Amino acid sequence: MSPITAYLLYALFALGGAAVYLAMPRTREAPARIAGLILGLGAIVGGLILLGTRLMPASSVNPGFYIFAAIALFAAARVVTHPKPVYSAVYFVLVIVAVAALVLLEGAEFLAIALIIVYAGAILVTYAFVIMLAQQARLSLYDTRAREPLAGVVIGFAAMAAVAACTTDTSALPQIAAQPAASIVIQADVGNTLAVGRSLMTHYVVALELAGVLLLVGLVGAVALVTRKVPRDGTAEPPAPIGRIGKEVQPF
Amino acid sequence: MPGLPAHYVVLGAALFALGLVGFLTRRNLIVMFLSTEVMFQGVVVNLVAFGRLHGHLDGQMFALFLLVVAAVEAGLALGLVILLYRRKSSLDSEAWATMSG
Repeated sequence: MSPITAYLLYALFALGGAAVYLAMPRTREAPARIAGLILGLGAIVGGLILLGTRLMPASSVNPGFYIFAAIALFAAARVVTHPKPVYSAVYFVLVIVAVAALVLLEGAEFLAIALIIVYAGAILVTYAFVIMLAQQARLSLYDTRAREPLAGVVIGFAAMAAVAACTTDTSALPQIAAQPAASIVIQADVGNTLAVGRSLMTHYVVALELAGVLLLVGLVGAVALVTRKVPRDGTAEPPAPIGRIGKEVQPF
Repeated sequence: MPGLPAHYVVLGAALFALGLVGFLTRRNLIVMFLSTEVMFQGVVVNLVAFGRLHGHLDGQMFALFLLVVAAVEAGLALGLVILLYRRKSSLDSEAWATMSG
């Protein structure tokens, strides 16, 4: 990677950082947030152009990558900066869909479908339930004011620039072993789902069982966390009379 | 040997950094945990791209197990969020800062 490319990359990260900083929720500064949005779009487009023209040979990048990468980055920025948690969750679905498409471009079909089903289907519904349970009707103070936005943005984007600088400098990387273990090589004649299933049931069978145990532990833990103690020996308070539930009893 | 997938690495780093920024700066507990999920997505992108580079399925398998961990994490974290909300009627993470000096 030439020094000019590196500096262009850092400049783009600085631009993106400024965009996220400007778009952070704060009180009564709508023009700054719109400017941040425009800056962010500029940073994303510039970054993709830089990727396509300087970092990678153009023939090796699928054109779909640019589209879905732009969608993923934009949606991720909105997850982080949108003041309303419901919208954050919906933008997160967009991140998932874009990432699933990117994973699909890399040939991981099973993982792409699993991402959409597990994340956009199950996890996001859990988030939606909690938002419905706990979110106030109007925007509260902690939603409209970010905590230390400047320090957070500087830390995050400095970390990003460090990672990008290390990994795009291919001369510093050790050479990769050419021959992986023969049994887990991606085979062209076998579909991805079949190959993943075989691998799960042979090489990763212990990990698969442990994943089941982990899910069980998580289930027990979540139930133990949120259930309320119900006394059984008749010492509980008498139930509220009918019609007064909304006034006397807390909904949670 | 195919070239290093620099575009996927940069994208993964960008997603991870955006999630990190969100986790550091947002005060709503739900949005903080959503930001960790964004960080997971950056990791998934990287794992799959490097798995393709090496020519085997390990990256995809790690990403699948990452899905399991993310699901458990979401369940437990949201249980905790509900517990904390019951105590203080607020989702502000700084409502629990009384133990800091």
